[in-house]
Amino acid sequence: MSDQDEFVTFSLTVDGTPREVTARWSESLLTVLRDRLGVRGPKTGCAHGRCGACAVRADLGDGDPHVLCSCLVPAATAAGGSVQTIASIGGPDGELSDVQEAFLAEGAVQCGICTAGFVTAATELLETNPEPTRTEIEEALYGNLCRCTGYGRIVAAVETAARTRREQKSPVPLTTRELAASLRTGPEEAR
Amino acid sequence: MSGGVGESVRRPDGPAKVRGEFCYAGDLTAEGMLIGATLRSPHPHARITRIDTRAARALPGVLAVLTADDVPGDLHFGLTLRDEPVLADGVVRYAGEPVAVVAAVDAATARRATQAIEVGYEPLPAVTDPELARDGTPLHPDGNVYRHVSYGCGDPDARGVVTVENTYRIGMQDPAFLAPEAGLAQPTADGGVQLEVATQWLHSDQKQIGWATGLPPEKVHVQLGGVGGAFGGREDVTLQVHACLLALATGRPVKMEYTREESFLAHRQRHPGTIWLRHSADADGKLISVEGRVLLDGGAYASTSPVVITNTVTLLQGPYRVDNGRFEGWSVRTNNPSCGAMRGFGVPQAAFAHEAQLDALAAALGLEPLEIRLRNALQRGDVATYGQRFDAPTPVREVIEGLQAIPLPEGIPRKAPGGVGRSAEGGEIRRGIGYAVTIKNLAFSEGHVDESTAEVSLCDGHATVHTACAEVGQGFVTVAEQVARTVLGASTVEVTQPDTLIASAGSTSASRQTMASGTAVHRACLAVRDRLLDRVARAHGLDAAELTVADGVVCAAGKPLTTVAEAAPGQIFRATEHFQHPDTYALGSPEARMYVGYGFSAQRAVVDVDVELGLVSVVQVASCQDVGAVINPTQLLGQIEGGIVQGMGLALMEAVVVRDGLITNPDFQDYLIPTIVDAPEVVSTYVTDPQPGMPHGWKGVGEPPLCTAVPVVAAAVRAATGLPLPSVPIKPEHIALGLGTAPTVSWTTPRPADPARAAQVVVDEEPRDALGTMAEEGAAPARH
Repeated sequence: MSDQDEFVTFSLTVDGTPREVTARWSESLLTVLRDRLGVRGPKTGCAHGRCGACAVRADLGDGDPHVLCSCLVPAATAAGGSVQTIASIGGPDGELSDVQEAFLAEGAVQCGICTAGFVTAATELLETNPEPTRTEIEEALYGNLCRCTGYGRIVAAVETAARTRREQKSPVPLTTRELAASLRTGPEEAR
Repeated sequence: MSGGVGESVRRPDGPAKVRGEFCYAGDLTAEGMLIGATLRSPHPHARITRIDTRAARALPGVLAVLTADDVPGDLHFGLTLRDEPVLADGVVRYAGEPVAVVAAVDAATARRATQAIEVGYEPLPAVTDPELARDGTPLHPDGNVYRHVSYGCGDPDARGVVTVENTYRIGMQDPAFLAPEAGLAQPTADGGVQLEVATQWLHSDQKQIGWATGLPPEKVHVQLGGVGGAFGGREDVTLQVHACLLALATGRPVKMEYTREESFLAHRQRHPGTIWLRHSADADGKLISVEGRVLLDGGAYASTSPVVITNTVTLLQGPYRVDNGRFEGWSVRTNNPSCGAMRGFGVPQAAFAHEAQLDALAAALGLEPLEIRLRNALQRGDVATYGQRFDAPTPVREVIEGLQAIPLPEGIPRKAPGGVGRSAEGGEIRRGIGYAVTIKNLAFSEGHVDESTAEVSLCDGHATVHTACAEVGQGFVTVAEQVARTVLGASTVEVTQPDTLIASAGSTSASRQTMASGTAVHRACLAVRDRLLDRVARAHGLDAAELTVADGVVCAAGKPLTTVAEAAPGQIFRATEHFQHPDTYALGSPEARMYVGYGFSAQRAVVDVDVELGLVSVVQVASCQDVGAVINPTQLLGQIEGGIVQGMGLALMEAVVVRDGLITNPDFQDYLIPTIVDAPEVVSTYVTDPQPGMPHGWKGVGEPPLCTAVPVVAAAVRAATGLPLPSVPIKPEHIALGLGTAPTVSWTTPRPADPARAAQVVVDEEPRDALGTMAEEGAAPARH
């Protein structure tokens, strides 16, 4: 039996729930999430850190949670840490988040295998930068590949989510109708 | 009615997908499930001298090790020629060919078991040059030529004042769907097998599983697992048969899921090819004659190579009227990876070549690129080089004029060429603008029956739609729902998971499923609606002919009577309807009808090129496409944008690099697909000239944007650099070092067409029976 087959036991928090894991030490965080814990939101696209389908937001113990490819993280390095997968993203009362809503409204989802990764990365982007430029959106999402959409609808979805969020905080509230129209055309045209 | 045809209805599977809860084939599990793994040949060509599986079988946790000797039924499968063994049959013909499969308690044990299988190989010379293969020693009992087609029309020796010729090369593109192949097979109580799998064509898989297992079709049940992209790459069988054999051998559920590297090795790629073209035109730019020769490398096994080659050869004429020409092509067997279907199915290769030729002619004659295209644009009533009349709307002029109406991008470029690949400060950046127009055949061709069946039921306003149409991301589920809302006035619609309990829907390919399965759904909805209205008419003592459904309300002579939801409480109305396109026939048949229909597309690309680093930024692609009707504006835009970026990938970066039969870049580190940084702005407009015989006049839209994007990006880079660039992908060194041969331009004495030779298509081809599932779909095999 090689070193790779040695098992280690550790605990980590996944989507807010403490979990105990026994895994081969060489296993990736993605494999542990999917095959050991049955957390299937992160997807296996390439397993070498190029496609972003496995993206999760993780705090690996340094108190600085950020989005990373779970396929590149040896699972044991997440011991004691905290992982937020797509299952942690959503609006109040089990509804969709504004980012998820915008992905549907703009047609940013086709086959959807990349979607959890894109939503995860876009959610982090808008938390740190509520008014991203097109270039900043590209910089935040170029680690995520999509083979179906050609990215146009994904950029539109992120822009729409950012706009919707700004407007919800704006002093003059939009009417429901304006809000619906702004999903399509932008706030200026909608008013 | 909200949510009907013509609206940007959201995908019904969208909420589960944005929550990460949608179940893809790779997410499937079952109680007591084993994991399957595949041992593949490391050699592109070798004789197998021995296989010893004893050590593998002896490993704890290994429940089955299967080789060719363990296949109970017919060892061979395939979409056209049935020339491919389920497991290697004494000889391996490509690197990656499956030699043995194992089932074990977990993935690590399964992988270790494949490593414990001892295989003796006697390497044979790998024939990797398709030209040598064509005329060389057969690599397979079926020979090395999958198909040779040759035909001419009019007087191919007619000449105008100018003649241009060149040779064009197209690289091998991987479909690169993001979810690798996966499936779960389970033995059933009746001795059969059930397979949930990510596929494009359930009934083709069912047949091929039946051949290998020896089971009758009713004991092979295939259900669609969630599909993470396809693009043609899931049309052939990969792990389907292996998973079923292992489940039957062990009596337990068996899951198989490929790694990314295996995915590259196992599925079929787009055919790389070489195309020679000679175009002659008069002083006004009108085409006088076109001659072309095509050689496609089909790799080790046939797949769809005999069908792809006719697409490439017959559509070399492009969307232009060509009265005189001769055309010839071969798809051949080599020891390279097998090639088959990929979005565009032979047409991107032709389009890249014919559009470069049109630009070369325009340059020689001092014409604007779109002007020469307008002067030659096909019109309804014209006859193709292969004899088929364009008897439906043929809006070539209209898509070009639509394109001309789209303004050029303004302002300062936002980013430098190269995207994430830019690692150095470059030099001079030049802008280029290019144009391309293409024709793509839609639906199955040449006698392959194109059909689908739908079962629709309605109860209290809730509709259920069942077909065998594989949803692979394209949005058929949305279209089916929209049709049910519009025709039936259904308030809720469920599109059930496709399976083989209903008749075949054919493959989700060839831009065909809205036309085939969408029309079957439309017909079934009409039948259900008529049954509902009959019931309502009887209940109210009215004539059913006076009743209509609009916006979910049943109206009598235009006045609301009741809602669809309340019209017949608790009653279930059900109908099953079939749709089949009119027959098509092989190239050269007297019926002169190879294709069901066509889609036309015009695009303009604006690029910035760093001429010293050889890096390209595609700033904008404008598109005007012939779409018949707009069924769902958002989904339509998604097809256009996605197709353009995939075509741009082939034009600029995507190439499966094969050296001595070995893929050197089977991963996303070295096989580059476009990222969000590479993607251009897309401006998309449409020509909506309804397709006759189709509900709402709809037609397929998925492939044309890719077919046009390849030549249009190349044209723009040529315009920026002044280089000939006769090969795709255009690599940085092609630009920086100016590699590639320019077209030969000769000025000739006009030689009018000999009227005695005019307007006749003469085909020189050996007829050959097709034996695979495409033939068994009910078609008469391609024959004269």
